[in-house]
Amino acid sequence: MIHLENVSKVYNNGIEALKNISLDIDNGEFVFIVGPSGAGKSTFLKLLIREEKATFGKIIVSGYDLMKIRRSKIPYLRRKMGIVFQDFRLIAKMNVYDNVAFAMRVIGSPEKAIKKRVKEVLNLVELDGKEKRKPNEISGGEQQRVSLARALVNKPDMIIADEPTGNIDPDLSFDIMKLLVEINKTGTTVIIVTHEHDLVKEFGGRIITIEDGEIKSDEKYPTKYHEKEADKK
Amino acid sequence: MKIFYLIKEGFKNIWTNRMMSLASVIVLVSCLIITGAASLISINVTALISKIGDDDQITVYLDYDLDDLRSIKLGSQLNKIKNIDSYSFFSRDDAIKQYKEVLGSIYESMQDDGNPFGNAYKVKLKDLSQYKKTVDEIKRVEGVSSVSDRSDIAGKLTKLNYFVTIVGSWVVLVLALVTLFIISNTIKMTMYSRRYEISIMKSVGATNSFIRVPFIIEAMVIGLVSGLAAASVICSVYMPVRTAAAGIIGFIGDSTFTVEQIILPTFIAMSVTGILIGLIGGFISIARYLKKEGGEIIGW
Repeated sequence: MIHLENVSKVYNNGIEALKNISLDIDNGEFVFIVGPSGAGKSTFLKLLIREEKATFGKIIVSGYDLMKIRRSKIPYLRRKMGIVFQDFRLIAKMNVYDNVAFAMRVIGSPEKAIKKRVKEVLNLVELDGKEKRKPNEISGGEQQRVSLARALVNKPDMIIADEPTGNIDPDLSFDIMKLLVEINKTGTTVIIVTHEHDLVKEFGGRIITIEDGEIKSDEKYPTKYHEKEADKK
Repeated sequence: MKIFYLIKEGFKNIWTNRMMSLASVIVLVSCLIITGAASLISINVTALISKIGDDDQITVYLDYDLDDLRSIKLGSQLNKIKNIDSYSFFSRDDAIKQYKEVLGSIYESMQDDGNPFGNAYKVKLKDLSQYKKTVDEIKRVEGVSSVSDRSDIAGKLTKLNYFVTIVGSWVVLVLALVTLFIISNTIKMTMYSRRYEISIMKSVGATNSFIRVPFIIEAMVIGLVSGLAAASVICSVYMPVRTAAAGIIGFIGDSTFTVEQIILPTFIAMSVTGILIGLIGGFISIARYLKKEGGEIIGW
């Protein structure tokens, strides 16, 4: 699904954000990208969603060669992924329903399909009943769930979350992570960029550490949360 | 692509940014009024000049001794001169008749020494700018005694026509650029105020054309409304201005376009200009903006 081969990114100001990175992420994986600020995590995400183009190397995402992709094809690449931002990026004047529906409207989905699918995802993120609320009328955790619902609504192959718990309380962070795990269980690849080590330790999975633009480690840890859930059952 | 959704979004943009839209309409209307007025002045002056040009006939006087038959035959010589549009024979009898009509009783009191006039031709030219050259050609025809030389008037008319066309074109061009600049800035500001939405649209996979259409519709509607408003103002002011001008210079009334003649073309021209300016201005500002990506759009 994601293939990076000797990828480097040098910005116009000369900063080398990523240095010769190679990795593969398969369908259905649950991956944490961790590392200190300025390590190159955000650049890594920007390369995946083709906000930035790598300076060298090869990147294949969902069958698209991101070094050769035409500008007009980039929207179709992005429809394969759902992006969750740290600051939620909700539209203040729209209610919860419209914020989620917006993602379907802009790709031209029919209104009937929008109604059905938005209801489903709002139910999944446990926001049913709050459709009419504006973003400023709900909590930070709920706002992030709206953002997650919007990322999910177009049934993407993968969810890319950039510090999804960075702006919310620790308790609510856990809920968001649980939701991401549940989404992953449906076969959706989940890639989470974070620097919250507690959460990473708690949930486990594949953890890729980036430091100073290089991959320092790429290891699989036991998925403790998954085990706990299994024990409960 | 859901065109009705996009059109609705375009109108929504106008309403959401209604103060900015209103400001753009006001400025655009002002520019379009000046542009329209300059165009109207230009076409009316051209019409006026053309009318004056039509009246401006050359009189070709023939030798006094030339009898009527030879005088009429001379017409075929004039026919060979390319710049002559038309000519008509003006006999010595016509001349004396006209003379009598003008002078009336004064003529009666004058001693009758017979007809002092020779035969003549009234000649109309195709191109006034070649006046002098054509007069010289006419003078070379055997039997022509003299030609009424009004080359200074012809020259002045040609110069005035040229001046009005050039100045009018420049005024229209400069104002069109100003209006283009205004509408492109309005769209830029609208896009800036909606940069957040645009960045989200891009992140969820909206195509550039999908993002672009509502802004283009917004620009075109602003252009169209401004065009219609400008045309209304121009048409309502045109009649009193024309009447006032005709009061000062009588023949303006007969030689310029009536308000009925200008209403439809003015509305069509102003609307089309407004829409085109909106379309071009919108495309210019959006094209630059759409090259940006996510965080770059929001400014993070």
